[in-house]
Amino acid sequence: MKASRRGFLLGGVAVAGAGVGGLAGHVAEPKQATPAPADRVSFYGSRQAGIATPPQQRLAFAAYDVVTTDRTALQELLKTWTAAAAAMCTGQMVPGDSTTPAAPPADTGEAVGLSPANLTVTIGFGPSLFDDRFGLAGKRPAALADLPRFPRDQLETQNSNGDLCIQACADDPVVAFHAIRNLARLGRGTVTMRWSQLGFGKAASTSTAEETPRNLMGFKDGTRNVETAENDQMDQYVWVGAGGDQAWMRGGSYVVTRKIRMKIEAWDRDYLSDQEAVFGRTKVSGAPLSGGKEHDDPDFAALDKATGEPVIPVDAHMRLAAHENNNGLRILRRGYSYTDGMFSDSGELDAGLFFIAYQKDPRNQFVPLQRKLSASDALNEYIEHVGSGVYACPPGVSSSGDFWGSALFA
Amino acid sequence: MPKVMRTALRSLPVLVLVTGVAACANDKSSSSDRAAPGAATVTITLTDDGCTPSPATAPAGPINFQIKNVSATKVSEAELLREDTIMGEKENLTPGLSGSFSLKLDAGKYQVYCPNAKTEKVDFTVSGSAAAAAGDPAVATALTDATTKYQQYVAAEVDKLIPATRTFTDAVRANKLDAAKAAFAPARYFYEEVEPVAESFGDLDPDIDARIDDVDNEASWTGFHRIEKGLWADKSTKGLAPVTTKLDQDVARLKTLVATVKFQPAQLANGATELLNEVASSKITGEEDRYSHTDLSDFEANVIGGQSAFQMLQPALEKIDPTLSASVREQFTAVLDSIKPYKKGDSYVDYSTVTEDQRRALTQKVDALAEPLSQVAAKVTL
Repeated sequence: MKASRRGFLLGGVAVAGAGVGGLAGHVAEPKQATPAPADRVSFYGSRQAGIATPPQQRLAFAAYDVVTTDRTALQELLKTWTAAAAAMCTGQMVPGDSTTPAAPPADTGEAVGLSPANLTVTIGFGPSLFDDRFGLAGKRPAALADLPRFPRDQLETQNSNGDLCIQACADDPVVAFHAIRNLARLGRGTVTMRWSQLGFGKAASTSTAEETPRNLMGFKDGTRNVETAENDQMDQYVWVGAGGDQAWMRGGSYVVTRKIRMKIEAWDRDYLSDQEAVFGRTKVSGAPLSGGKEHDDPDFAALDKATGEPVIPVDAHMRLAAHENNNGLRILRRGYSYTDGMFSDSGELDAGLFFIAYQKDPRNQFVPLQRKLSASDALNEYIEHVGSGVYACPPGVSSSGDFWGSALFA
Repeated sequence: MPKVMRTALRSLPVLVLVTGVAACANDKSSSSDRAAPGAATVTITLTDDGCTPSPATAPAGPINFQIKNVSATKVSEAELLREDTIMGEKENLTPGLSGSFSLKLDAGKYQVYCPNAKTEKVDFTVSGSAAAAAGDPAVATALTDATTKYQQYVAAEVDKLIPATRTFTDAVRANKLDAAKAAFAPARYFYEEVEPVAESFGDLDPDIDARIDDVDNEASWTGFHRIEKGLWADKSTKGLAPVTTKLDQDVARLKTLVATVKFQPAQLANGATELLNEVASSKITGEEDRYSHTDLSDFEANVIGGQSAFQMLQPALEKIDPTLSASVREQFTAVLDSIKPYKKGDSYVDYSTVTEDQRRALTQKVDALAEPLSQVAAKVTL
């Protein structure tokens, strides 16, 4: 059941690609081509992979700053990165010479012989790229506004922002890390890595057919995510359509990343019914506190007969985030659990959620949602936002002659 | 230096094997002529906007160009030009068709020309190697010159190291703490410039330059850093006299040894990369001069030593791969510029005052240089 859904999705991406650039790399093959192997996601297509793609198990995310002011050098880098990403997504080595004994190999080698593990490599452009360095100021979409400061934000510059971002997701952590490592290497002299984050377990599902993964608090969070197989939902909430102010972003999306540190030790000491009240769900089954099963709609009006209080508390995370209570507003969550080990000064665990959300316009989606959550979410007692980023993810790369962001430079 | 070469060789067989497989997978698409074994593959997709070669750079030698037209209606051919001379072409590729041509190309600037496209000409670079440029006697001469000059340079710097070390050790023996401290970084400078050469002589480098954590037994610790600890941490020259004598003898031994050594061009390049790795791994961390905090002086010496080796290779590299040559040259300048703000008189600020963010910025400059620099050795290998 799961496998066929994935197969269907992949087919969808490939067909979309044919409309724009054609079946890149398969020119000589018969029309009834054999389906793509189950361990790879097509890099080429009208949309970037890694957004609607069912979340893979692992994440390697990195933000980079451009250190040159040469527009051509930036374009060259994007071309080089595109070619390298395309190769890595099919399990090939980074293009270039990896065999000359006297030269360092073009590919760093740790992923040699591994399956592509459904690797997707997705790029985003941060607000700072649209300053006066590259003549892109006029191309900055209004939706790529700097995020406002939210109450309780404890953002650290070493975990925030950046001119470019790369999200590499794969079912094998080595494959995902290999991608950001090699892009960093190819970019030396043009970009520097600003920050990076590994995620060891997916914390979101984008299909009701798939079990909702649990976050590190032990809860199923994101049960009511946007379903990526539902094209109308994707068009309504995720993909930039013809209505955007910048033509180069049509078919793209905006991603917001938040590094959300969990106060794990304090949370683990909280009693079960309070943990459930914080989320508004039962811990084991994931069902709303108002009853039923995980995917049943919550009844926000239900009152506790004894106390007369709402069964799903007024400050429950799920109530505040629910689309019913936010004018139907939704975002596509694609986050990962992370740990950076422990804090050497306190000995406590350094872990949490690396929140990733794709959307059509953060000003109308993430920002109002987070305003509300940061003000009143019961979860705030146990979490802290320590990193933040917002990036414009351009449409996909149509074929091997195209590159990431080509329309931005056109 | 030999260490570096061995590491590169060890990892080779696996990579060769896998590249072979990857290349076979690529060759499945329709090609009208056969690519030479080991040929690089460059894909050109015809579009009405233009046709971009991917990758945009390939090494000199046999190159197989795979051209495909997916949906371009105005463009149906691709030519490879060198100074407006057609080197190869594929015509009549209407949408859905693909074809290929193969060429053996020398290093240089080329263009892919697609008549009627919005952008008709796109640059394509073929990077060279000394082996590919072997037909040019000027390259071989320039490389021989480089090794001769480097040998002279190493000898000259070691000649300066001896008296500078003597000034330092004399001050220690005379128990003049301030004079000794002032002479420490200037003496080390000449050593740090040519350190990879010294490292090729077995125990000599540890005897001269070991840090406390490099030795099993502190009692047998000798060299610059042993004296550094005495001057700055113990604030005393007590027990240092035998160490100073040995240091003078060791640098004298270095002079004898370097007089006999011969270099290959690739060793100059690898040695330069090694100097940059030294900067990143021990100078920027502040491990090297942990008592005196004179790390930035060593930093400069490592970079200058690497730059000197590179500059000797530059005339040959200009002919072999001008793009790489320019990139390395620019990055050397950028690295040296990055430490200028820390200059204080003839020397540098105390390294402990350099913040974490500043150290990170320095590392990034060094990495930006070391990456292209690491490509030079293979280019100058005949």
